[in-house]
Amino acid sequence: MALASFIRDAAGADKVTIEDGNLLHGGAIQENRLLTVTISGGELFGTQEIVLRSEATARIPESRPLDQQFAILKVAEAAGVTVPKPLWYCGDSAIIGKPFYLMKHLEGDALGNRITRVGEQPHLAATLGQELARIHSIKPPQKDLEFLETISSSPAIDAIEKYRSYLDELPEPHPVLEWTLRWLENQSSDARDIVLCHRDFRTGNYMVHEGALTGVLDWEFAGWGDPHEDVAWFCARCWRFSAPKLEAGGIAAREVFYNAYELASGRKLEKEQITYWETMAHARWAVIALQQSMRHRSNEEPGLELALIGRRLAELEFECLRLTGVTK
Amino acid sequence: MRSRPNARELLDIAEKTLSAEVMPDISERQRYNLALVASAIGIAKRELAGGVFAWEHELDILRALYGDDVMEQPETMLVRLNRQLADELRAGVYDEKNTEQETVLNLLFQDVVARLNEDNPTYERVKTLSN
Repeated sequence: MALASFIRDAAGADKVTIEDGNLLHGGAIQENRLLTVTISGGELFGTQEIVLRSEATARIPESRPLDQQFAILKVAEAAGVTVPKPLWYCGDSAIIGKPFYLMKHLEGDALGNRITRVGEQPHLAATLGQELARIHSIKPPQKDLEFLETISSSPAIDAIEKYRSYLDELPEPHPVLEWTLRWLENQSSDARDIVLCHRDFRTGNYMVHEGALTGVLDWEFAGWGDPHEDVAWFCARCWRFSAPKLEAGGIAAREVFYNAYELASGRKLEKEQITYWETMAHARWAVIALQQSMRHRSNEEPGLELALIGRRLAELEFECLRLTGVTK
Repeated sequence: MRSRPNARELLDIAEKTLSAEVMPDISERQRYNLALVASAIGIAKRELAGGVFAWEHELDILRALYGDDVMEQPETMLVRLNRQLADELRAGVYDEKNTEQETVLNLLFQDVVARLNEDNPTYERVKTLSN
């Protein structure tokens, strides 16, 4: 089997056998498959649970190619962020039919509804604040991250231009999002700091085992940006799942998360900037939701989950209006 | 005359059968898919209950705003006028706090609430932002 030979060579092993497990849940854009791999010889000898990540049939424009995701994961690991250990990237489509990378499997659960049903988890929120501070300790320039786009105007203006260009590709007009992006344009200011932003740091994208964090997942949107963007994304109403009143990711009060972040990063968060980026968060998720639903509507990747994302738009736009002061 | 039960009645009983009879009897992964199916049926039911064309009021406001001199289907007109509104919002035509801005923002708000009632009527509108 080609995959076993690839792992054998990459791990410097004598022999590798693979038991193919299940498709792991989650990840509307990427496919994650769990493999049980038995390795004889080399540094990784023994039986390992390994995740094979490859691209699903259709991609959305914001999502980074796998080689870049792998490089970001390596840099994050080196900065001390708790991540699934990245093992090897393979760009040769001959092995499994498309590029992929392998990482160690983490124990635990990432499902947002399940995590937020537990109730308040201040310890977990504080750990996540510290993790985010570690991610934001990665600053440009980084020689292994040269592929990351540089900021051309400011992180906010760059984002607004990008989301407008995405809206221009959609078949229907979206006046609420246009209002919101214009509001964001008028209120924008320059970032003081440029750091590595995860851009999908939220409940549902980290693994928890017995109440403790085991890893931060899904690095496909990472790039240079304003640190407030990640803080706001984590706290945004759309990522609180079953606990909308626990404003830090549905697991704690904001202050717990903010304080842990500030203490670990030495950076003082600006509340106004968080509100600003929280508005951007809902506009961004709305644009991505529209792109996701187009994957279904265009018949590129028909599926009920993608179809239903299109009907999440109203709740995201409701938050856009609330944050721009339109709702009473 | 169409035979009964009608579309709404059929969706009703299909939804009840799914949640009361199929749901307790299937694997966890399929339970997730079933929840998605139930959600789709719920949205479709509420959309049908709203009538074939639920945006008459919105169209009235847009026509008052942009005039009404083109012969076209209401659905086509609604998209066309919303596109005009979207373009003008982007261009900053409604930046200034005045009665036009108020009209437009009210229109956006009513449109979102109408869709929210259809797509997610139990959405919890958390009012405060404690940051």
